[in-house]
Amino acid sequence: MAGLVSRREFLNLLAATGGIAAALKVGTALNLLPGSAAAASMDLLNLGNNQRKVAILGGGISGLTAAYELSKQGYDCTILEASHRCGGRIFTVRHGDLIDEIGNRQYCEWDDEPHMYFNAGAARIPSTHRNLLAYCKELDVDLEVFINENKTALVQDDKILGGKPIRNIDYTTSMRGFMAELMAKGMSSAEIDEPFSESEAETLLSMIRSFGDLNEDDIFKGSFRSGYAAGGFLEHGVQNDIVAFRDLLQTRLGRQLMGANEGDTGPILMQPVGGMDKIIHGFLNQVGDKVKYRAMVTSVQVTDKGVNVSFDQDGLGHTLEADYCFNCIPTHLMVGIDHNFPDDYVKAMKYVRRGEAYKAAFQAKHRFWEDLDIYGGISWSNTRSRQLWYPVNGIHKAKGVVLGAYDYGGGMYHTMMTQQERIESHLADHEKLHPNFRSLVEKPITVAWHRMNHMLGCSARWSRNRFEGWTHEEEQLYHTLQAPVNNRHYFIGDQISMHSAWQESAILSAQWALNNMDAHVRAELVLGTQ
Amino acid sequence: MNRRVMHNTLVLFTTVAGMLIQSNAISSEREPFNDRYCTTCHGTEGKGNEGIQAPRLAGMEPWYLRRQLENFRAGIRGTHPMDRDGMAMQPMAKLSDESITDIVEWVGGWPYAPAEVTIIGDAAEGRLLYGVCATCHGDQAQGNVAMGAPALAGQNDWYLVTQLHNFVAGYRGKHADDIYGQQMAAMAGGLSNATAVLNVVAYINTLEER
Repeated sequence: MAGLVSRREFLNLLAATGGIAAALKVGTALNLLPGSAAAASMDLLNLGNNQRKVAILGGGISGLTAAYELSKQGYDCTILEASHRCGGRIFTVRHGDLIDEIGNRQYCEWDDEPHMYFNAGAARIPSTHRNLLAYCKELDVDLEVFINENKTALVQDDKILGGKPIRNIDYTTSMRGFMAELMAKGMSSAEIDEPFSESEAETLLSMIRSFGDLNEDDIFKGSFRSGYAAGGFLEHGVQNDIVAFRDLLQTRLGRQLMGANEGDTGPILMQPVGGMDKIIHGFLNQVGDKVKYRAMVTSVQVTDKGVNVSFDQDGLGHTLEADYCFNCIPTHLMVGIDHNFPDDYVKAMKYVRRGEAYKAAFQAKHRFWEDLDIYGGISWSNTRSRQLWYPVNGIHKAKGVVLGAYDYGGGMYHTMMTQQERIESHLADHEKLHPNFRSLVEKPITVAWHRMNHMLGCSARWSRNRFEGWTHEEEQLYHTLQAPVNNRHYFIGDQISMHSAWQESAILSAQWALNNMDAHVRAELVLGTQ
Repeated sequence: MNRRVMHNTLVLFTTVAGMLIQSNAISSEREPFNDRYCTTCHGTEGKGNEGIQAPRLAGMEPWYLRRQLENFRAGIRGTHPMDRDGMAMQPMAKLSDESITDIVEWVGGWPYAPAEVTIIGDAAEGRLLYGVCATCHGDQAQGNVAMGAPALAGQNDWYLVTQLHNFVAGYRGKHADDIYGQQMAAMAGGLSNATAVLNVVAYINTLEER
């Protein structure tokens, strides 16, 4: 076969890059540990006897954050929510719920039990999203640990081992073993040894050995890390077979398998007990009386003195005159609503692209994954459905809800299908992981965010170039949309962040706008300037 | 509840396993819905939304609205895989006859509102090309019900550009049952390139005072 690279040549390539010596010297000292969650509480001016009216457009988490914080300080808030529910893309589906996809409405028919739910939008809370966690604490939202990576869950790709699913741990143990073997050999080559002191080299080598569980000759000969083929408790364990390196290289799923615990999805992740929308309920316990449901905004007019909003509710037109407006209507929908925004603002609104994420879920007739020692986590397959999530909630109960598809980047593949085609696609895909999957599940639900009424898209996409990141022009457009109009109208939501699709981003966006408005209010009330 | 139409529909899911999974009859506690969701995409009073690529409906003739809704519903329009925006609309038109009648009455009642100009083309060149179009759509692009040709004046120019490209490329107007679409596809064949399309739409833009 042409183009094969020997291990020796590979090591030479590594050494030739010269990057290792450079990496030894660059990098900066780590910052001190960040402040605690308690530091996130806001310091907005209390209005006292003064009155200010605020219109909040959209009852997503950013709008609710604004309503909650402002109500505490005496502002008169009204939240206009276009749909029948608050939360936006914080959407927990359970018994009886309406999934309002235009052209494909569904009602959820799952058993009516607290653990039988599916987080169709936001589903994970990283422990570093401290502003969200601070609200969970303040609003008495019970949290539990969420399992993202499960080493006992499965990996399947038609290209490896004849399509037979293997355990995540079989893949990762062997892959780490082979990677460590290469690294250890690299350490013994003079070119790479050279920049390290003897003790540094020794430390590094011992970590490499431990990373891959190498034997005394720095060779990977398998590991008990992937469990036992037999025995292990009352008798000596028998080691599992190694998966051949070449087999491992036939799938690209390693990108997910080796990286599932990195970045935003790294441990520890959490979820609210009973569904992500418990956070929304927590806010609504405080400000629920300020929400007008099925109230569709038809016009937003910014004046020198405030913002005039028109909306339809129950077939009738209404108006709302406010001093300030916080708007988390998706920009792609706001483009079609009457407004008098400045041209540069409109240009920025039109620039943002709609996200396409897609999820699906099934009720499982019994918790078949627990029979396979799987408790929570994700099985990955090289299929269009991509992911199968097992619930960490409801362990050992009779039934559970499995997430049967999550396509974050390319959700249009399933979105464009009919409901029957979507379901068949997931059933066929997951039969590769669990041969009798089709008979184990029922009552499918699909959520195509690109088609959901009053949303028509998932998280905002600002950057057109995935690989090169934001351009200077994109950053300018973003800052244009973040800035208020006349110091009266603020766009908020995860769409006004550089890290969309996270609740933390939506909250921080709202807090940024609130602080900005607060400065103007202080100037008026405390300094007496306008 | 004024003119709003509420439907309580029995939702059926089928799986290819041949098993019919049937919902319980929908109880009165169920969240109601209605089919008047047009403004989500098409904007306030159907003035069009470039952000969704959903065209202006304000001022669209009721007979044309009905024909297109029925075409979408029947899969006569919006099923060609390259007609991206049409494919987005197609499932949204899965409506009952009642709902279509209600929507046509509702949407057909919105005041005419010309859309903003967003494209650049040579209107003088476009005027020459428009001569053929005028036969059916009228010399002021006012439309002609007898010919089954809708008004074009005041429509979103980006939408007209997309549709002309779709007709030329065969993404629209190829379905055997799309009689008027086939006529239009034949007529659009004369628009040889992207510049010609921009020019003719630029001319249509001049037919409406904004």
